[in-house]
Amino acid sequence: MPTITYDKKDLLNLIGKRLSDEQLEEIIHLMKTNVESKTETEITVELTPDRPDLFGIEGLSRAIKQYLGLQKGLKKFTVNSPQLHIKASYLPYRPYLAASVIRNVSITDSFIRSLMNIQDVLTDTIGRKREKVAIGIHDFDKIIPNIVYTEVSSDEKIVPLDTNEEITLAEVLEKIPKGKEYGHILSGLKKLPAWIDAKGIFSFPPIINSERTRVTEKTKNLFVELTGTDKEAVLQTLNIIVTNFAERGCIIEATKIFYGEKSEVVPNLNPTFIDLGIDETNKLIGLDLKKSDIIDALNRMGYDVIENKGMLKVFIPAYRTDILHKVDLIEDVAIGYGFNNFIPHLPSVATIGKVHPIEKLSNKVRQLLVGFGFQEIIRPILTNHKNLFDKMNIKSEAVIELENPVSSEYICLRNWLLPSLMEVLSANKHVEYPQNIFEVGDVVVPDNDEETMSKTIRKVACVISHSKSSYAEVKGVVESLLKQMGVIYSFKENSSETFIEGRQASIVVNNKSIGILGEISPVVLEQWNLEMPCAAFEISLDAI
Amino acid sequence: MVQKYELTQEGKEYLKKGLPEKQLVEILNKQPMKSLSFDEAKKSIGNFYIGLQWALKNKWIESYGKDLVLIKYPGKIPEQEALEKIERGEEVEQNLVNILLQRKLIRKIVVSEADKLIGKEVTTLTPQLLKSGLWKQVKFKKYDVNIPVPKVYPGKLHPYRQIIEEVREKLIGLGFVEAKGPLVELNFWNADALFMPSDHPARGIHDIFIVKEPKQGKVIDENLWKRVEETHNKGWITGSRGWGNWNFELAKRLILRSQTTAVSARTLSKLKRDDLPYKMFVIDRNFRPDVIDSKHFIEFDQCEGIVVGEELNFKNLLGYLKEIAETFGAERVRFKPSYFPFTEPSVEGIAFIKDLGWTEFGGAGIFRPEVTYPLGIEVPVLAWGLGIGRLAMIKLGISDIRYLYSDNLSWLRNKEMVR
Repeated sequence: MPTITYDKKDLLNLIGKRLSDEQLEEIIHLMKTNVESKTETEITVELTPDRPDLFGIEGLSRAIKQYLGLQKGLKKFTVNSPQLHIKASYLPYRPYLAASVIRNVSITDSFIRSLMNIQDVLTDTIGRKREKVAIGIHDFDKIIPNIVYTEVSSDEKIVPLDTNEEITLAEVLEKIPKGKEYGHILSGLKKLPAWIDAKGIFSFPPIINSERTRVTEKTKNLFVELTGTDKEAVLQTLNIIVTNFAERGCIIEATKIFYGEKSEVVPNLNPTFIDLGIDETNKLIGLDLKKSDIIDALNRMGYDVIENKGMLKVFIPAYRTDILHKVDLIEDVAIGYGFNNFIPHLPSVATIGKVHPIEKLSNKVRQLLVGFGFQEIIRPILTNHKNLFDKMNIKSEAVIELENPVSSEYICLRNWLLPSLMEVLSANKHVEYPQNIFEVGDVVVPDNDEETMSKTIRKVACVISHSKSSYAEVKGVVESLLKQMGVIYSFKENSSETFIEGRQASIVVNNKSIGILGEISPVVLEQWNLEMPCAAFEISLDAI
Repeated sequence: MVQKYELTQEGKEYLKKGLPEKQLVEILNKQPMKSLSFDEAKKSIGNFYIGLQWALKNKWIESYGKDLVLIKYPGKIPEQEALEKIERGEEVEQNLVNILLQRKLIRKIVVSEADKLIGKEVTTLTPQLLKSGLWKQVKFKKYDVNIPVPKVYPGKLHPYRQIIEEVREKLIGLGFVEAKGPLVELNFWNADALFMPSDHPARGIHDIFIVKEPKQGKVIDENLWKRVEETHNKGWITGSRGWGNWNFELAKRLILRSQTTAVSARTLSKLKRDDLPYKMFVIDRNFRPDVIDSKHFIEFDQCEGIVVGEELNFKNLLGYLKEIAETFGAERVRFKPSYFPFTEPSVEGIAFIKDLGWTEFGGAGIFRPEVTYPLGIEVPVLAWGLGIGRLAMIKLGISDIRYLYSDNLSWLRNKEMVR
C-alpha cells in the first residue's frame, strides 16, 4: 500500500494535546495503519485502504482526538447553502461530478503540503489512479462564473499548471508529463472534458488544472471540483476532502449542480445510521459488554449512538465510506474497547487433523529420494518456452501463458519439471559432482474439461549427473522408488528427443504411461551448456 | 614384493641328511679307492636313484662295470646351500630356486597380506585381519585426527521444505485438515467470492497475473454465482449495502491464484452442516506481479487456515492466533487492528520471538457475512494467515527471498538443518 508522511508538529497542533512519540505511534497503530518510519519532525505511515478518511492529517487528527476522548462522538459539520450554480453536460464517459466552495482558508506550508498529499493519495486509491475519481483544487477568487462542466474540442487551449504557455488540450496529452501518464483514460475520445468559466478552460480533468487558478499563499477561498465514473465514489471523496478542510476551521459551502432540468446540492454531510443489537455485538466479539460500554467504545470511534427500542441507533459520519455492514461497526466496538483488553480464548473445537493425500504421497517420495542421497530443489513454477521446449530439444506444447508477464524469464507455467532441474545443473557447473537432485512439485497443463481450463499436477523429477551416470543407474532408482511405493510397473521403449535414442523408456502403470526415464541427449546437454552426462526421470504422482 | 619359499617334507629331510647326490659322493669319498659297488651304495643311502642321477649329471661320479667311482668331489653343493638359505629365509638365485622347485624340495609360500603385517603397524583393519584373528598381533597406525577429509554431502530436504513440513505437522496437531486448490484460478474464487469489489485496486494487472489463453473459466454452480452477484450489487440477504456493481465477465477471467484464500472459499462452498465443526488449512504457492529483487519475487507461499463452527467469536480468533504464534516460539503476543477485504473484524498478530523481538507474524479475521452467506455458511468462520516465506527467511537467517527457490547447489548442500 502507499505511504503518507505527516508533519508531526502539525498533527499535534491539530490534535491539541502533547503526546510522546510512543503514545502517538500507539494510537496510529490502533487506526489500522503501520508506522513505517519516523524522524524528529515527520512520521511516515502505511495507509490502510478501507479508511481513506484517515489519509489526510486532518482526518487522522480527528480520529485521534475522538479516541482520546478530547472530542466526544460524531463530529457535526455545517454546510452553507449554495451560492454557486454549475451547469453540467452529460458526458457518458465521465458522467459524474461534484464541487464545493471552501471559504476562509489560511494557506500555510503545512496546509499546502496536506492538500497535495490528500489529493494524490485519494485519486490513487478511491480514484483508481484518476480513472474513477479525479480531483481539482483551485483559487476560487480567480474563477469567474458561470461555471460549466462540458466537453470541448481538443483544439481548445489551456495554460497548464506550472507552465506559462498556452497550448491545446491535444498538446497537453502529448507533451505534458501528466498528460502522458493519465491520457489513456481519455483515449479514443473526439471531444474532451473540461471545466470552463467566463475566461475559458480552467481545468482539464482528469489530467491537469490551469496555471490561472493556481492556489497560492494569498488564496482565501478554494474551489474543489471532482469528476468520475462512479457517483458514490465521487461524492464520498468530496465528503472526505471537505470534512478535512473543516478540521482546519474552513467553512464549507455547497454548490448546486444543474443536469438539464434536474439539480442537486452537494456535498451532503448528514450522517447515515445502522441499527445495532447489543447481543449480536457481544456474540461476535465474544465479550459481555454492557450497553454503556458499547456506546462508550462507539463514541471513541467517532459515532453518535441513541437507544431505540432496545437497539442502538448508530450514526455514521459522512466521511466513513467504509461502513457497509453491521460487522464494520462491531469491529469498531472491538477497537474502541481495545484489542489488547481481550483475553484470547482457544475454544475446545475437537477436530482431527489430516494431511492432504497428495502431500502425504509427496513426502514419502521425498523421503525415499533423500535416502538415495539426492538433494531436494524447490523452483519457481513460472518459466519460459525456451527452457521448457527449445533447450529440451522438443517441439512446443500448449502451456498456460501470462498476458501480463513482468520478465521474459517468467512468461508461462511449467508443464514438466525436468527443465527446472536442468536449469539448476546449468547454474552449478563448477560445483562438485556427482550432482544428484530432485524436485517434487506442481506443473500445470491446459485441460478444457476443468472449471479452470487447466489442471495442476504433482510430479517428481530427478537428475543424476556425474561422469558415469547411465540409464541403468536411473532405472535402478525408478524401480526401487516404485517398488517401495507398492506400484506394479513395466518399461516400454520410448522416443523423445530429450533423451538418447535407444536409451530411454516410458514407465507404464495400469497400461498408462506415468513417466519417462533415460540418458539425456548430448544435444540437450549442449543447450544447457553442460559437460557432464546426465540420466533422469520424471513421474506423475497423481497417477500412482 | 619378494616371493617367499619354504622347504617341502623331502626338502627338510635333505636339509638334515644332505641331498641324495651329496650323501652319495660323501660315501664314495670315504672309500679308500673312492669307489663302491652299485649294490653297496644303493643300500647305504635313501633315494639312491635320485642321488645317482644328479651325481652322474654333474659328472662327479662315473660307473665302471658294477662299481661307482668318484671322479670329482664337489665340496660345497649350491643346491644344498640354497636349501639352507631358504630355510633361513634368505634370498636365493632364481636358477637354483627353479631347480629346487622342479625337484619339489621347496614350494612357494602364499603369504596373505595380513600375515606380512604380523608385529607391524597396520593402517587398515581388514575383514581378513578380523577373520584370521591376526588383529591381535598387529598394531594400528595412529591417525592424525585433524586430517582434512573429502567433503560428504547428504541427501537432504530443501531448508525451506523443512520449515514448511514443521508448520504442516503443527497444524495437523491442532486438528486442521489440509486442503488444496488449482494454481490457475477464476477471478471468482480469488476475489469475487471473497467480496472484493470488481474494481478493487488489488485486482488490476499490476497485482494479478492474467492468463493469456483461454481467457475464461467455467461457471459450475450458477446459483452460487447469482448469490455472489446479488451480494456485490446490493448485499443480497447479508444485511450489507453491497458495492453497487459487479462485473460477471471479470469474475470468469482466468488468472494465477494470488492468495490461498481462494482455497478457503472453495472449501467453504463444499462444506455441509454435518462437517461442522471444521478446521482447514492450506500451505501453497501464489503468484503476483512484482519487481524481482532480493526483497520481492513473483511467486510466494502462504499458509492459512479457517475454523468453522457455531458460537465462534473474535476472542476465539485471538486464541487461535496466539496458539499458532506460540507454536512458532512466540513468548508474548499482541494484537492490533488491521484490514483485509474479506474479514471484519480484522487483526494483525505481533509476536515477541527470542532473538528477533517484536515481529509481525500473521493476520486474521472473521469472514464477512458477504463472504460466507453466498457460500452457504451461516456460522462464524475464523480465518488466519501467515506469510510462511517471510517466517522461513527469518528462521533461515537469509535476507534474499530468491534463496527460497534457490538454484545455488552449494548453498543447499552447506545450509545447516533447521532445528
